Amino acid sequence: MTGFLTGLLRLRRGPWEMLASILIALGVVMLMQPFFLWAYTWSFLVTLVGTVMFIVVSHFPE
Amino acid sequence: MSAWSVTEPSRASKWVAGLLVVLYTCITLLPLVWIISTSFKSGPDSISYPPKILFQPSLEGYVNLFTTRTRIAAEDFAALPPPETWYDRIVRDQGMVIAGQSRFGERFLNSVIIGFGSTFLSIFLGTLAAYAFSRFKVPLKDDLLFFILSTRMMPPIAVAIPIYLMYRELGLSDTHLGMILLYTAVNISLAVWLLKGFIDEIPREYEEAALIDGYTRFQAFRKVVLPQAATGIASTAIFCLIFAWNEYAFAVLLTSGNAQTAPPFIPTIIGVGGQDWPAVAAGATLFLLPVMIFTILLRKHLLRGITFGAVRK
Amino acid sequence: MPNPLEAAARATPAPLARRVRGLSDRAIAWIFVAPTILLLLAINIFPLIWTVRLSFTNYAANRPNREVEWVGLRNYSRILTDDGIWANMQTTAHFLVWTILLQVVLGFTLAWLINRKFRGNDLLTTLIVLPMMLSPAVVGNFWTFLYQPQIGLVNYAVELVTGIPASSFSMLGPGGLAKWSIIIVDTWMWTPFVMLICLAGLRSIPDYIYEAAEVDRASKWRQFWTITVPMVLPFLMLAVLFRGIENFKMFDMVVLLTGGGPGNETLLASIDLKREAFEKWRTGYSSAYAIILFVTVFGLASIYVKALNKVKER
Repeated sequence: MTGFLTGLLRLRRGPWEMLASILIALGVVMLMQPFFLWAYTWSFLVTLVGTVMFIVVSHFPE
Repeated sequence: MSAWSVTEPSRASKWVAGLLVVLYTCITLLPLVWIISTSFKSGPDSISYPPKILFQPSLEGYVNLFTTRTRIAAEDFAALPPPETWYDRIVRDQGMVIAGQSRFGERFLNSVIIGFGSTFLSIFLGTLAAYAFSRFKVPLKDDLLFFILSTRMMPPIAVAIPIYLMYRELGLSDTHLGMILLYTAVNISLAVWLLKGFIDEIPREYEEAALIDGYTRFQAFRKVVLPQAATGIASTAIFCLIFAWNEYAFAVLLTSGNAQTAPPFIPTIIGVGGQDWPAVAAGATLFLLPVMIFTILLRKHLLRGITFGAVRK
Repeated sequence: MPNPLEAAARATPAPLARRVRGLSDRAIAWIFVAPTILLLLAINIFPLIWTVRLSFTNYAANRPNREVEWVGLRNYSRILTDDGIWANMQTTAHFLVWTILLQVVLGFTLAWLINRKFRGNDLLTTLIVLPMMLSPAVVGNFWTFLYQPQIGLVNYAVELVTGIPASSFSMLGPGGLAKWSIIIVDTWMWTPFVMLICLAGLRSIPDYIYEAAEVDRASKWRQFWTITVPMVLPFLMLAVLFRGIENFKMFDMVVLLTGGGPGNETLLASIDLKREAFEKWRTGYSSAYAIILFVTVFGLASIYVKALNKVKER
């Protein structure tokens, strides 16, 4: 866990990609879950942020 | 191999596994067998209940697939001269006469033209790009490769709207060229990824030896790499062909008459009073059979290609 | 063709010659890659950018002369607060979750059985793979025949096995079965794909790991959970992501089976999108809809590529 945090601070690719993947997955779940309309409403933004973040951080050093 | 091996499954477990897999295979093939057998049934046989397993084979479905038919008044029908050909007779037996040819042949030919055209183009461009990605330092290589792969993942309906508008402007809608370009664009990502994998496996030393022998890069590519990659290219070509052959979403949205392929056409086959199931089954059989035969004949390359495309980069 | 560079290269010693040709390598690389990139730009990226632009307007493709208004984010906000589209997303989710679950269970089991290497396993593998090679549209069309109420083969088989009368239910009609019918067809078609990927995973496990486990007297059950499953998992992950992406944008097979009906019971997002775009001709609105679907697929695709790289490192 501390490795993950220091990785984030030092702008390393691995942990940031992990974070972006989690955001994308969260967005997809929010899009298709049947419980909260507000989650559906904001799902697109979450997925979009995750995807853009993924493209950016995949250029960070390993 | 030694007589005793822990990783070799026991005879009994092989038997059980084999039986279960055979059972699954039988169930999974049943729909296919059923559709082929329906294509040889007569109209009433095809919708009888319980379903007929044994039946008098008939070519009615195939005749109906290639013709359009009409009913005529009873006295005119009685006054007709006796049928001249075997297909005339089959249609008369249904109480109808042949009015003309159907469009199935045309649609099938469109599928062939568009399928082979786009396959040729995507293999040609794909081989060049794959070679470059495999052997040279291309700037932003990983981004370009991801970009190429991601175009494959695009939902067809999502890009169909502007492509529809663009083709309308350029006069490409419902043309063979338009469809060939479109299918090439979809196929090329798969082609580049698969071919890059195959070319990566060819040792660089072969080309380097050729370069030292005085070949140019281009000659080395043509005379050393291409022959080595031939099987890879062939199996990639089959995948592209199968994709273009099977595609439906773009075909139904962008073509209507001239360049329509068979998949959007087959579901529209209707007879007098509802769907003509033997004719639909005949169309499906003729359309699917080439792919099935291809799959069985070329299984080694195909199976390798599927896992290769999904697992390797 | 005699050209001066060529002649110079021939006359120079090998390492230097390679450098002379090396200069043109870059040019060759560009010449080889450019047509592909240009084609993709023209037929994929340009339309995509156009879609983004349209998604901020109220354009309607069937009324090209109407004045186009810039509506900002209104299309997006309307879609993302629409109960109907939310319901379609849930329909898509139902289809996704069940097809993936069934295909993983069946596909993995089959791969595990086939990996016993009994006689004739390669022929059976080929036969099992047949359905996934076929045209989804034609498959959807002929499954409507198998699903016909009263006369269909499926109804007959159900009566034969369970005794429920064939005329008492309809696979594609009202009664709630349609959303399961499309799952059955998709599973029939795509289980072989998951099977092949799992098989590749199983075959990538070297024998010596099992031999070592045998020396340690680990039970077969334990070997299965501590060796087989973890080693196949990355492959399974790939298959799941791939099927997830494909089924999220599923259109052809389902549109021919049910067309989204009965009612809206099987109205997957992409079928709904097709209706909005090409039947109701709300081009601007459906462009926003398309972008939402596209971003979702693109996000999943990036995770897929990440997973792919993990597997490749093995």
